[in-house]
Amino acid sequence: MLLEREAFGRLCRARDLLREVREQRLPIPEVAREAGMSPFHFIRRFEALFGATPHQFRIQSRLEDAKLLLARGEHNVTEVCLEVGFESLGSFSDLFARRVGMTPSAYQRSARVLVQVPADFPPLKMFPGCLSLMAYLPAEAFRNFQEA
Amino acid sequence: MRIKLTSIMVDDQEKALKFYTDVLGFRKKHEFPAGGYKWITVTSTEEGRDDLELSLEPNVNPAGKAFQEAMFAQGIPVAAFEVTNIADESKRLKEHGVVFTQPPTSMGPVTIAVFSDTCGNLIQIYQRNA
Repeated sequence: MLLEREAFGRLCRARDLLREVREQRLPIPEVAREAGMSPFHFIRRFEALFGATPHQFRIQSRLEDAKLLLARGEHNVTEVCLEVGFESLGSFSDLFARRVGMTPSAYQRSARVLVQVPADFPPLKMFPGCLSLMAYLPAEAFRNFQEA
Repeated sequence: MRIKLTSIMVDDQEKALKFYTDVLGFRKKHEFPAGGYKWITVTSTEEGRDDLELSLEPNVNPAGKAFQEAMFAQGIPVAAFEVTNIADESKRLKEHGVVFTQPPTSMGPVTIAVFSDTCGNLIQIYQRNA
């Protein structure tokens, strides 16, 4: 598939829209219309470009927002749920637990251990630079195929 | 001092590993749990080219994500891989459903093409012109 510059730009803006507009009532066909495409083409191109359907992408970005808000510790789980655009606490908690591997409250508790002082950027410990992860590796991670 | 490792940010490490191996044709070299994330590296399957590793970095830092998305939206690739035959490679990738933002285009000493890796990055491939 080859995307022209203009269509590419519209898909990027659609992605921003899906991320920014937290209300549930922004149906995908409407986002497709904003992007000047039929729902079929919009969904297909979006998925090919971003590796997730518009619907999946929206859920993922809401969960990421939720994680950041939970880590900040300023809101409780119910407030976070509503803030990121979920209507039901039950479905939010289920989805969160399935994707993240722990309940929203458990996540908030574990994040609280790391966050000392509320700040604009969560502390470095929450978002390690990838290369610093080297410290966690076993020795064999550094052997070449020849050495092994 | 030698260049042995480079890294690229990806929005989902599992998805990225699948794309970089199943679609791009790299081979997984390492996968280890690391501080709540994973350390995943891939290498080329080409003869004698497996010493250089590419790390698929989790994209959780908001500043990193902002950079990545800005580059993407501007159409700027963040990595470039050399290929032997860009026409064949592009055709093969298209058959895999890969989205190109630039078809193979001759530009001076190289022919280049640009596509999305589905993990937040535009990738450039290039072939040196004879």
